[in-house]
Amino acid sequence: MTPTIARDMFTAEVLKLRRRRPLMAFAGVLSLGVVVIFMGYLQIRHATNPAKYIPTGGIDGYRHLLRALGQYFGVLAAILIGTEAGTADLSSGVFRDLVSTGRSRLALFTVRVPAAIAVTLTFSAAAYALGLVGTFAFAGTSPTPSLSTVLEGAGWIALSNSLLAALAVGVGSLTASRSVTLTALIGWQLVATEILLNIKPLGSVRDGLITPALGQLAPVHYYSGVTMASGTAVAVLAGWALLPTLTGAWRTRTRDA
Amino acid sequence: MIRPMNESPHIIETSGLTKRFGDRPAVVDLNLTVPRGCAFGFLGHNGAGKTTLIRMLLGLTWPDAGSMRISGHPLPEQRARVLASVGAIVEEPHFHGHLTGRENLRVVAAVRGPEALGRIDGALARVGLSDRADDRVGTYSQGMRQRLGVARCLLADPELLILDEPMNGLDPGGILEFRTMIGELVAEGRTVFLSSHLLDEVEKTCQAAAVIDRGRLIAQGPIAELVSAERLLVEFGCDDPDAAIDLLDGHPAVAESQLTPDGFLVTLAGADGVASINARLVQAGIAVYRIAPVRESLEQRFLQITSRIGADR
Repeated sequence: MTPTIARDMFTAEVLKLRRRRPLMAFAGVLSLGVVVIFMGYLQIRHATNPAKYIPTGGIDGYRHLLRALGQYFGVLAAILIGTEAGTADLSSGVFRDLVSTGRSRLALFTVRVPAAIAVTLTFSAAAYALGLVGTFAFAGTSPTPSLSTVLEGAGWIALSNSLLAALAVGVGSLTASRSVTLTALIGWQLVATEILLNIKPLGSVRDGLITPALGQLAPVHYYSGVTMASGTAVAVLAGWALLPTLTGAWRTRTRDA
Repeated sequence: MIRPMNESPHIIETSGLTKRFGDRPAVVDLNLTVPRGCAFGFLGHNGAGKTTLIRMLLGLTWPDAGSMRISGHPLPEQRARVLASVGAIVEEPHFHGHLTGRENLRVVAAVRGPEALGRIDGALARVGLSDRADDRVGTYSQGMRQRLGVARCLLADPELLILDEPMNGLDPGGILEFRTMIGELVAEGRTVFLSSHLLDEVEKTCQAAAVIDRGRLIAQGPIAELVSAERLLVEFGCDDPDAAIDLLDGHPAVAESQLTPDGFLVTLAGADGVASINARLVQAGIAVYRIAPVRESLEQRFLQITSRIGADR
């Protein structure tokens, strides 16, 4: 496959995602909308009673921003987008038409991953930029994050959202079902993971979960329930990125179209 | 479309091709040859194995045994090279409903390569969809989707088009348009492999055909030969058809006879029995006022051979 074909296929994948208006609307609400609502609420609360409520921005607001985008709502948007990228061709029936062009199935799968990540990061970047404006504009007397922290935060959110988007592409390509993939990933990431983190007898088994591994690498400290070495966190995240992606690629290659 | 000098005379060749789904055989020891540059009908009842063969040719599923070639190139070994010049609609054309017709073509053209991207406008114009190209496919009628499916095939500038039941769901006007389009594609030197159970349409559209029944190939060849093979039918008009049938019972030139609204129909045992039958009737005092050869339709022939196969098992 030539670079020109790879570029054209990537552009076409992005087009398929971009034109899915409900998906784009939900992803916008879960990233930009959440930042606006969250910061708006905190700012109104602070404005009405400054003595009781700290300013919306500053380092505390930044910490909330990171968690919202890197652990909860940004992750949800990434799962939505990755799931759509992983299942769209299969659920619409277009997959067999693409296979019958003679292009390798592996190429058809592989191009979904960067496309999903690119669309996801567009929302992540916009939401992060908006959140930074709030962090600095509404800081009041609170300290603000340094430039290096801001850059590390951007990288951390990109890592988190890209990982979940790729994971969703892999699982979506494996199951070929949008509803199964969404239920499994949202259920796992936002419900099961939180429950497992609170079962302390599991001990270091919990190191294998995405959320604490991401928390370990976050530029500002927040307690995610488990602490581990950074190397372990990187290995865990690499495993979560690779295993579902390889499984999805294998299923795409072997699927009866 | 440029055709290579050393091309095979057959665009599709299969040998001993077999595919099973569990214990159920879908295609059994299939030896099919499709000549180049014609419209070729692939006939069979629903579930006979038509789509399974197409899916194997396109690499959508894998055979359990046997070999396949397109344009002389073995499959699946040279799949990418072969399918680059094949356009196909399997079962029914599927699209992303939220994209426009043009965007849907762009998605497939991106997968095929830069030349295909340059063929989008021409393909849309060819199938008469230029005016609706920027509307969402979700708003298209069945006929428009079929035409868009053909436009998608044309992105490959194909030497072979594989169309699986392309006339399903089309109204009479749409069927006529489709038939005309297939004729034009063949006139350009392309081969159209048309799977269908609409026998009348295959007879009107195709020059050659094959019949598959329960996964087995039971006949193939030019339509004219398929229709006239084996059975020679003659209808007699006379004043006493019942007496005539009784009289001809056991006649060496008569393989079978039956009453018709206008007389009786004889299946000849050989090519030269008409004169002796007529003489026998006249000698018995039966007034014969009409003798007419009857051309079987493809549908009659198809039902005859597929029901015979069924009865043999």
